[in-house]
Amino acid sequence: MNKFKLYFLLSALFFSNVVFAGLPAYKLTIKDGHFSPEIIRVAKGTRFKLVITNLGPGPEEFESKKLRKESVIAEGVTRSVVFAPLKPGKYNFFGEFHLDTAQGHIIVE
Amino acid sequence: MSSTIFIVWRESIEAMLVVGILYSWLKNQSLTDAECNASSVGMRFLWGGVATGIALAASLAFVMLKVQSELAAEALDYFQIIILLVASALITQMVLWMRSHGRHLKHDLESGLQASHEQSNWWGMFALTAIAVGREGAETVIFLYGTGLSQQNEMMSFILSASGGFVLAFCTFWILSKGTRYFSWQLFFRMSEILLLLLAAALLVSGVDHMIGLGWIPPLVDPLWDSSFLLDDSSRVGGVIAAFTGYRAQPALMLLMIYLAYWVSVSFLLRRSSRSHSSRSHSAKASV
Repeated sequence: MNKFKLYFLLSALFFSNVVFAGLPAYKLTIKDGHFSPEIIRVAKGTRFKLVITNLGPGPEEFESKKLRKESVIAEGVTRSVVFAPLKPGKYNFFGEFHLDTAQGHIIVE
Repeated sequence: MSSTIFIVWRESIEAMLVVGILYSWLKNQSLTDAECNASSVGMRFLWGGVATGIALAASLAFVMLKVQSELAAEALDYFQIIILLVASALITQMVLWMRSHGRHLKHDLESGLQASHEQSNWWGMFALTAIAVGREGAETVIFLYGTGLSQQNEMMSFILSASGGFVLAFCTFWILSKGTRYFSWQLFFRMSEILLLLLAAALLVSGVDHMIGLGWIPPLVDPLWDSSFLLDDSSRVGGVIAAFTGYRAQPALMLLMIYLAYWVSVSFLLRRSSRSHSSRSHSAKASV
């Protein structure tokens, strides 16, 4: 139980922007229904953020059931999405508005 | 272009479902004068909720288009989680309320005390429709606005397929509102309850999942299993099933526990509310 309390306390502390600003950041761009890069390598067990820029044309929804994210990004907008520490593995994400072409992976190692 | 039809249908179906069921439920109330009165009050709250929802969708879409700063993006994420949980609670509460009324609204209109309780339920219906329309509506607005802008040379085919999606979603609404003509009221009501409760559970799952994703609640065991070879929740069909049932191919133990706890408490509350309904109609019969 104590472990959980610590977990809660730590995650509460992490919510300040000061901490968020110092997170390792990875860039991801969306253009013509494709992600670039399509594979992002991330270190295991660390909090990080993706800085997603949609160059268009049109809006895109960055989504991943496995990563538990869902975020609509209009053309020309840059948004960052913060991730809790992940276990090693391959996590797929996709663009809901271009499901056939917009596919990518985050590889945690 | 078939993807445009699909996306518009997918984004508007949830709101159509909620509004369609509430609309047909209200429409079937008008048997006596008192019920007719209550039903028209209800309609006002329902359509007021729809109008507010459209305004909410437009302003949410505007915010999403403008959000650039990290702080605002975070606030938007938190807001969306709150909306998911509130929508789930409101749908559940609405089903319980409809169950306790059965087909007739008049029981509760008889005393003044219950009338004020009634008023708060109408506001619940108002909030529910506003949120149902506003939540997914915002994404529809961004999708239509953004895609429309980027496809000016194929504008005609874009407008056609976008309207196609709306027509499909509206068909769902229409079938629901005519449902009682083809099915018995009992069957229609039971199916509506199941659809609404599944949707509420799916919204809860989504909210909890986002909270796990942010690290607010521990996943415990993650994932508990992987059933993506049976039904992949990232595919088109799997995504729709996930949105309407809360299905996840790789759920965390925490998510499964909350999902089960939801169904256990809902079935307990349903049993309690139908028991109080039947005892009330017994006493009503006795007083006649």
